[in-house]
Amino acid sequence: MELIGLMFLALIFLMPLGANIYGRTRIRKLMITSAQTQSEESVKQHSLTAFHGLFMSMCVLLPALVIILCWLAFAPMVISSLLVSEISRLTGETDPRLLSIFVSKLEALYEGVLKAEFVEPEVRQALGYYSALIARANIFLYVVAIFTAIAGFVISARQISPRFAARDKVEVIIKRLMQLASGVAILTTIGIILSLAFEASRFFDVVPISEFLFGTHWSPQIAIREGQAGGSGAFGAIPLFAGTLMITFIAMLLAVPIGLMSAVYLSEYASKRLRNIAKPAIELLAGIPTVVYGFFAALFVAPFLRNNGSVIGLELSSESALAAGLVMGIMIIPFISSLSDDVINSVPQNLRDGASALGATQAETITQVILPAALPGIVSAILLAISRAIGETMIVVMAAGVAANLTANPFESVTTVTVQIVMLLVGDQEFDSAKTLAAFALGLVLFFVTLMLNVLALYIVRKYKEQYD
Amino acid sequence: MPETKAFQLNFTKLISNIFIASFFLLGTTFVASARDQIVIVGSSTVFPFSTSVAEQFGRNTEFKTPIVESTGSGGGLKLFCAGIGLEHPDVTNASRRIKKSEFDNCQSKGIAMTEVVIGYDGIVVANLKSAATLNLSLKQIFMATAAKVPAPGCENDCALVENPYKMWSDIDPSLPAKKIEILGPPPTSGTRDAFQELAMQGGSKSFPTLNALKKSNKSEWKRIVHTVREDGGWIDSGENDNLMVNKLIANPDAVGVFGYSFLEQNADKLKGSNVDGVAPTFENIADGKYNISRSLYFYVKHAHIGTVPGIKEFVEEFTSENAFGEEGYLIDKGLIPLFEEERDAIRTQGVALKKLEL
Amino acid sequence: MTDRSTQTAQSKHLKKRYRAEKRFKFFGLAAICSAAGILLVLIGGLTQMSIPAFTHHYVKLDIAIPETTIQAEQVTDPVAMRKVNWRGMVRKALRNEFPEVTDRSGKRAIGNLLSGGAGDAVRDKVLNDPTIIGSTVEVALPLSDDVDLLLKGLIDRSLLEENRVVSDRELTFIDHLEATGRIDRRIAWFLFTSGDSREAEMAGLRSAAVGTLLTMLVTLLFSFPLGVMAAIYLEEIAPKNRLTDLIEVNINNLAAVPSIVFGLLGLAVFINFFHLPRSAPLVGGMVLALMTLPTIIIATRAALAAVPPSIREAALGVGASPIQVIFHHVLPLAMPGILTGTIIGLAQAAGETAPLLMIGMMAFIVDTPMWINDKATVLPAQIYMWANNPERAFQAKTAAGIICLMVFLLLMNALAIYLRKKYEKRW
Repeated sequence: MELIGLMFLALIFLMPLGANIYGRTRIRKLMITSAQTQSEESVKQHSLTAFHGLFMSMCVLLPALVIILCWLAFAPMVISSLLVSEISRLTGETDPRLLSIFVSKLEALYEGVLKAEFVEPEVRQALGYYSALIARANIFLYVVAIFTAIAGFVISARQISPRFAARDKVEVIIKRLMQLASGVAILTTIGIILSLAFEASRFFDVVPISEFLFGTHWSPQIAIREGQAGGSGAFGAIPLFAGTLMITFIAMLLAVPIGLMSAVYLSEYASKRLRNIAKPAIELLAGIPTVVYGFFAALFVAPFLRNNGSVIGLELSSESALAAGLVMGIMIIPFISSLSDDVINSVPQNLRDGASALGATQAETITQVILPAALPGIVSAILLAISRAIGETMIVVMAAGVAANLTANPFESVTTVTVQIVMLLVGDQEFDSAKTLAAFALGLVLFFVTLMLNVLALYIVRKYKEQYD
Repeated sequence: MPETKAFQLNFTKLISNIFIASFFLLGTTFVASARDQIVIVGSSTVFPFSTSVAEQFGRNTEFKTPIVESTGSGGGLKLFCAGIGLEHPDVTNASRRIKKSEFDNCQSKGIAMTEVVIGYDGIVVANLKSAATLNLSLKQIFMATAAKVPAPGCENDCALVENPYKMWSDIDPSLPAKKIEILGPPPTSGTRDAFQELAMQGGSKSFPTLNALKKSNKSEWKRIVHTVREDGGWIDSGENDNLMVNKLIANPDAVGVFGYSFLEQNADKLKGSNVDGVAPTFENIADGKYNISRSLYFYVKHAHIGTVPGIKEFVEEFTSENAFGEEGYLIDKGLIPLFEEERDAIRTQGVALKKLEL
Repeated sequence: MTDRSTQTAQSKHLKKRYRAEKRFKFFGLAAICSAAGILLVLIGGLTQMSIPAFTHHYVKLDIAIPETTIQAEQVTDPVAMRKVNWRGMVRKALRNEFPEVTDRSGKRAIGNLLSGGAGDAVRDKVLNDPTIIGSTVEVALPLSDDVDLLLKGLIDRSLLEENRVVSDRELTFIDHLEATGRIDRRIAWFLFTSGDSREAEMAGLRSAAVGTLLTMLVTLLFSFPLGVMAAIYLEEIAPKNRLTDLIEVNINNLAAVPSIVFGLLGLAVFINFFHLPRSAPLVGGMVLALMTLPTIIIATRAALAAVPPSIREAALGVGASPIQVIFHHVLPLAMPGILTGTIIGLAQAAGETAPLLMIGMMAFIVDTPMWINDKATVLPAQIYMWANNPERAFQAKTAAGIICLMVFLLLMNALAIYLRKKYEKRW
C-alpha cells in the first residue's frame, strides 16, 4: 500500500515533467508541419516553445494538487463518520463518547500500535471494513487525481497551436499564484486571531472578561489535584500589564536616549571610519539572540545591580524589574538607532544647509530643524520598539519574576504577560484548566496591543510625514 | 555589469529545484515512518532523572535513546492521554499522582497504564552558607508563608487575619531579625503543590482554630491552609534552576524553597534549614524523618508496548537497582530512594505492567 | 558702553551656544561609547565564562583489552559492542593505579573520578583499530565534571569537606594521579561532536546544531518562495486597492507580532489542528517561516524598488511582457538585496527560542535528527535547557553554547554584509 502511495506521489510529480516535454515537442512539430504545408506564408509562433511546455505542465499539476489538498483536508472526516456508523451497526452502541473510543482503538489497531488482544471483537470485525475503506479511499484519490491530471493534459494538449497565446496563460497563472502567496500574510493573521480567540473564549466562559481586564489580583492558583484547595485563583491581569509596562518603560528610558543619540551622532557628526566600525557593531547587538540576553541579565546584570544597590543602600529584589528592563533596553538600542538613522538620513540636505546659512550651530540645526522634521519617523520607531519590548519573552522569562506584584517600585520584582504565558503553558497544572486557557487570553491581549501600536505608528508616519520632493 | 552575472539565475531551473525539494519534503512527511524511539513527556522535576535513565538506556541497550520533553506534569498527562498512536507519547513523568479526572479522561480514550513510583524528592528550605541556619518548625513555616493566619497571641477561635509577620523574629524571637523573603516555586509547579500540601497543611495542624475550621467548613479550611501569601514575603521564582542560586547569593537574607536534588548539587553554597529539628539530609529524607517529601512517578502506556521497541526494557532499566537503588546513578542526581521492599514491589509491578486502577 | 555690553552679551551667548554644541556632541559620543561598551561587556563576560568549557581533563591509563571481550570481526556489530562492559574495564584499570585501596567505598570513589562515558573512549579506540584487542594500550579517559572543575580551580579546595562536592579521599586520589603525570588538559571536542547528555563532560551541541540546520532548511523552503512571490506581486503587479492595502498593513503588523504569539499559533494550528508531529523541525520551521516571511517580503520589496525604472522600460521596449521583465531583468538585479534580507531573516529565526518552547522543541535529544519529521531541538533551546541544569559545569557549558551560536549567527550576518557590499549597486 505504501509503495503504491509512493508511486502515485512520484507519478504526480513526474507527469508535469512529461507534459512539459510533450508540449515542447508538439509545438516544434506543429511549426515544422505548418512551415511545410503553408510554404507561401509561414505561420508565426505566438509564444516561445518553453511557454507551451510550461503551460502544459501547469495544467497537469495544479488541478491534481488542489484535489490532493482537498482530500487531505476532508477525507478523514468522511472516513471517520462512515466508520462510526459501521461500528454502531456492529455493536449496537449509540453513545458518541464510546463510539469515539472505538474509532480511536480501531485506528490504533490499523496502524499496528494496538495489539488485537486489547480490543473488543466487534472492533476487530470492523478492522476489515476500515482497511478496505481506507484502501478504497486511497484508490479513489489516486484515480481521481490521475484522471484530473490526464484531463488537464488532454485539454491543454489540444490547445497547443502556433497561434495559441501560451505565454499569456502562463503569466496569468503565475500572477494568481503570486496573489495566493501574498494572501498567506492575511491567512496568518486570521489564523492567529482564530486560534487565540477560540481558546480565549473558552477562558472567558469561566472568567468574565471585565474581571480579566480590570481585576487587580493575579494569582492563577487553581487546584492542581482534585481535593486540593488551590487558593484564590484570581485572574485579574492588571498587575501583569503594569509589570510589562514598567519593564518596557525602563527599557525605553535606556534605549531611547542612547539609540537616538547614537543615530544622530553617527549620521551627523561621525567620521566615515567611525561610522564604518560603529554601525556594524550596533547591528551586531541586534543580531544577538534573546536567550543570550536573558542569560546575561540573570547572571551578570541582576547580581551586579543587587550588589551595588546594597552598597548605596538600595533594597533591590534579585529579580528586580530594573535588571530585566535594562537588558531589554540594551536589546532595543539597535532597533531604535537603525530606524532613526534611516529617518534622519531621509531629511534632505538643503534643510541642513539652510540652517547653517542662518548661522545655527550643528547642534541647533539638529535639535531645531532635523529632529522636528524627522519626528514622525522617530515616534513611529519608538512605538515599534515599545511593541517589541512588550512582546519580548526570553529575557523576562530568565530574569524577571513570576510573582504578580502591583507595584510602582522598579527595584521590586514584577512579572509580565509573556512570562505568564510561558509559565502557564509549561507548568505542572492540569492542562484544560482555566489556567492554561488564560495563556491564550493573554496572547490575544498581546496581539491586539502590538497591533494597535503598529497601526498607530503607521498612522503617524502617514499623517505627519513631511513630503520634500 | 559583470557582478550581476552571478545572479542571472535560470528561473526555470530555480523553480524546478524548489519543485523537487518540495517533493522530497512532502514525500517523506506523508509516509509516516514507524517510530523506533520512546517518547517521554512530563514533569520538570522528574526530567533530570528521566533523562539520566534515557541516556544510560540508549548507551547500554540496542534501543535508541528515548526523547524526553519537559512539559510539566499536567501538560505531559494531557499529551499522554490524547490517544493511542505513534504521534502520542509512550511515557509521562509526574511530580504528583495522576488526578482522578485525568485518569478518567485517559480511560475514555481507551488508554491503560502502569504507574511506577521512582522515589522521593525532599522539599527543602535553604539559604546561603554564610547566613545563619534556620531552625524552623512546620508551624513556623506556615506562619511565614500563609496568606491568612490566626491572629497572633490568640489560642482558640481566633479571627483569621492577613499575615502580619514581616520579620522572622516576629514569628519567634529565636529566629533571626531578618525580613521574611522566601523564593519559591510558582503556582504552576508541582513542587509548590507539594509544599502547600506537606509543609503548610502540616504546619496548620498546630492551630486549634484551623483544626476547628476543618471540621466546620472543610473547603474554606483548605483554601486557608493552601494559600500562599502574596504581600512580598513569598516571591514566586523559578524552579530548580541555577538562576535561583544566584538570586540567593545576591540576597543572603532570602531563603529558597526547592527540591533536595538541587540543594545537593549546590552543597558548597547553600544549606538546608532544619524542619522540626530534622536536617534535610539524604538519610533523613530516605528514612521519612524529614517531613516535607513527596513521591515522583511515571506512567507507561500499555497499548504502545510491543509496537514502540524498548518500553518494557526502559521500565526495567528505570527500576533496576543500578538506577533507582540505594547506590544507583539516579541517587547521584539527587533522587531519594524508596525502601528496599518498596523498590522490589514496584519493580515486580512495573515489569509485570500492572494496570493502574483508581 | 552699551555697545560693549551687547558685545560681551553676544560673545557670552555665543560661548554658551558653543558649549551647548560641545555638550550635544559629547552626549552623542557617550551614547555610541556606551553601546559599544555594553557590547564589549556582554561578549567579554560570556567569553570569559565559557573558556573552561572548551577544555577538559583526561587521565591517561594503560588499558588491557583481553581477547575475551570481543572478536575483531564483531566490532562493526553495534549490538555485540554494546554488550561489552567497557565501563567496568576502565574502572578496573583506574583502580589498579591504587592497589592499596581495598574497601568498597574507596573503590567506588575511585570509579566516580571517571566520567560515566569514559568507557566509550576505549570502545571508539577498538572500533578504529580492532587489532589492539588482546594488547594493552594507553587511552585518555575523560574525568567526571566535578573532578574537572576542581582541576580547573573552580571548586575551592580549602572548603570544609562537607561543603565540597569532591571528598577529601577523592582529593588524595586526584593529587596522586596528577603527581604521576597522568592527567592532562585537552580541547573538549565532544562539545561539537556529541549530542546532548545529562553529564556535563559528555554533553555536546551536535544534535541541536543539526536540528537548527534542518529547521532552517524548512524555514528557507517555505519563506523564500512565498516571500519573494508575495513581494513581487505587491511591488510590481498589484493594483492599488483596498485589498492590497490591507495586505500591506497586515505584513507590517506581522513583522511586529511578538514571537511567542507565533508559537501559540503553531501550537493551535499545526499541532492541535493538523496533527503534525510535536518537536519536529517541520513544525518549528513552518512557525519560523511565518515569522520570517514579513522580513523577506519587506527586504524583497525594497530591493525591487531600488531597481531603476529605466531597466524596466528598456526591457518593455524590446518587447518583453511584464512578467518577463520581472523575471528576466528586475529580479536578477534585485537578487543580492533579496538574499541579504533572507539571510538576515534566517539568522533572526535561528536565534529564536520562545515560539519553539510552545511547540515542544525543548526536549532532551541525544541522537542526531536525520530528517525534518524526526524529533529535534535547536541551539537556542539547548542553551536554555543547559542554563536550567543544576550541575555547576553546565554554567560554563551554557556560555560556550552561546558563543557557538553567536559565531554561527555572526557568520550568517557576515555573509549577508559581504553579499550586500559586493553586489550593492547605486543607480
